[in-house]
Amino acid sequence: MSFVIILIKGALIYGGLLGTAAAMTLAERKVSAWMQLRIGPNRVGPGGLLQPLADGIKFIFKEEVTPDGANKGIFRLGPIMAAVPAMLTIAVIPFAGETTIFGIDFGLLSLTDLDIGLLFVLALSGLSVYGGILGGWASNSKYSLLGGLRASAQMVSYELSLIMTALTVVALSGSMNLREIVEVQNTGNFLDWHCFTPVVGQVGLILFVITTFAETNRHPFDFAECEPELVGGFHTEYSSMKFALFFLGEYCAMTVMACLTTVLFLGGYSVPFWEDAPWIVQVGTFMTKTAFFLFLFIWVRWTLPRFRYDQLMNLGWKVFFPIALANLLLAGAVISLS
Amino acid sequence: MVDLLFYVAAGVSVLCALGVVVSANPVQSVMMLLGSFVGIALIYLLAGFQFLAAIQILVYGGAIMVLFLFVVMLLNQGDPVVLAREQGVLRKEQLAVGLAVAGSALAVLLVAVVRTDLPRPIFGYLWPEGGLDPLLGMAQAMFGPYVLAFEGASVLLLATAVGVMTLAKRQRSTPVAAANEEVSA
Amino acid sequence: MVVVKRRELTFWERIYLPEIFRGLAITFKKMFEPRVTRQYPEETLPTTEVTRGQPRLVVKDDGNIACVSCGLCEAACPAYAITIDGQETERFIEREPERFEINMLRCILCGFCEEACPKEAIFMSDELELADTTRQGLVYDMKRLERPASTLKPRIDYVRRINERW
Repeated sequence: MSFVIILIKGALIYGGLLGTAAAMTLAERKVSAWMQLRIGPNRVGPGGLLQPLADGIKFIFKEEVTPDGANKGIFRLGPIMAAVPAMLTIAVIPFAGETTIFGIDFGLLSLTDLDIGLLFVLALSGLSVYGGILGGWASNSKYSLLGGLRASAQMVSYELSLIMTALTVVALSGSMNLREIVEVQNTGNFLDWHCFTPVVGQVGLILFVITTFAETNRHPFDFAECEPELVGGFHTEYSSMKFALFFLGEYCAMTVMACLTTVLFLGGYSVPFWEDAPWIVQVGTFMTKTAFFLFLFIWVRWTLPRFRYDQLMNLGWKVFFPIALANLLLAGAVISLS
Repeated sequence: MVDLLFYVAAGVSVLCALGVVVSANPVQSVMMLLGSFVGIALIYLLAGFQFLAAIQILVYGGAIMVLFLFVVMLLNQGDPVVLAREQGVLRKEQLAVGLAVAGSALAVLLVAVVRTDLPRPIFGYLWPEGGLDPLLGMAQAMFGPYVLAFEGASVLLLATAVGVMTLAKRQRSTPVAAANEEVSA
Repeated sequence: MVVVKRRELTFWERIYLPEIFRGLAITFKKMFEPRVTRQYPEETLPTTEVTRGQPRLVVKDDGNIACVSCGLCEAACPAYAITIDGQETERFIEREPERFEINMLRCILCGFCEEACPKEAIFMSDELELADTTRQGLVYDMKRLERPASTLKPRIDYVRRINERW
């Protein structure tokens, strides 16, 4: 029985993740169009809603090109390494508390309830560097190689700030378990959300959001792709479904990072003024909060120009890392004083 | 089930470790090493050390192997096939030294394994039933009895970081010389 | 040499975040402004008599084609897109085209044929769409090119008005 429940949960969560990723490809084009006074895709299905489906079909039927001189095995490994870690991380995100659907007790609405949930997310998002760097190297193309190198250097640098900022939350809530992190914040008073912790919370939230932008290679930090300089960066030589996998990986990583920001700083599934909300309200709240961050990803992309590469590295090492460290120290001081 | 998983993980890590040595292509070696680390992380997980497993992946998989890859990609090592042909097989002395080191390491490990009284069962949680939470236990051990060793290690790491910075800075102070070096290399 | 003096950034600009929020506010506002997109196949651009579309042959009100196959447009065409074979006719004008083809793949829509024509027989219409799935389909024969004079009236009047100036 518990096995069946896990299967159902898995189907729900992964269906949701892939659905969100697909919807994001449409949302990206729609929102960018709206911001540029255009209309955006509106031909496939009502209002263009079936555009992701059309894109998927197109990707499947595209010719698959492997460049001459590419290292075949690693070339194939690249997209897999980009997509799989991003998809795995969703397993520990709690979407709602105790859930009962049609009288069946589903327990916590997340695939697993790991004690080290946060660490699991960070470890796997660290592994997603490999997609870009391996794909870039194996393509046997200068643009791809440069894109891959940039991606890896950037992600390794920003991972430090990401971990330090996440540690601030761990210190505030006294646990690495994502469920417990949410439960600490779920008191019915939304001022208990970590983003409302004076100074520490706000600095942490801003730092965390910006570092997730860098971690997922999104604008204004998308040096791995950087069309004007590197054609397409690490996926220049990829086509067909392999390219689609890179895309899927990017959007899944964005979704997971938006979920994680929600869990860490916005109280996850906790509903303001309603501590014991039914699961469906909690899921709705969670999705609303996550949707805001997903929108922010797109919003920032179509607002800000790309950084310069040295600016990115300076920002990561000389600004974000010290601030994150100081913030962690401040959090420690606040906790030990209170 | 746990035993089976252990043999799978152990097999993967041993085979990947062999692959590191055997692969002609350095990037392939790095990937093999990553596979080996993942296998080891799985073994940690089976033994109940979730934290250690995650840290293994985070630090070794996510950071250190990326640096390895970086270095391997940046160094122009030439065509691996040509390199293998030029260098040929190992010389006899090299082979002998290698075998001697590997053999003595294996002997030490075997002696250690045989003479240590391992707790039974080896797999599953090593912590007392319903007692310590593994993460909490680890933290308490690290900042309790072993705090001096822990802080000592961090000082050592700091010293390394400072040393590396000094070396890097010294090279950059004479850019012309550094540039010349690069050209001649 | 031009020395560009960069303005010293104020503290608020150096923090960068307030400026980012300002930018975000601008793009957010833009989302609710009226769209400028034209839904092309359904909504076409309005055309006027000045619109220089594709060349068309005038069919006069009596049902006869105005062309006398003099070949001037053929000669004026810089892209050699026009091919004319003439034949005799019982009508007063004595000659008319047996074959009049414009290869629209070659035509550069310059309007020289319109200028060259002494008989007001070829005009640039307001038709702009030019697409087909075969090359042969884009070689327009006489039947495809003929247009009653009434539909070309605004253009004819416009060209006459322009020509009066010389």
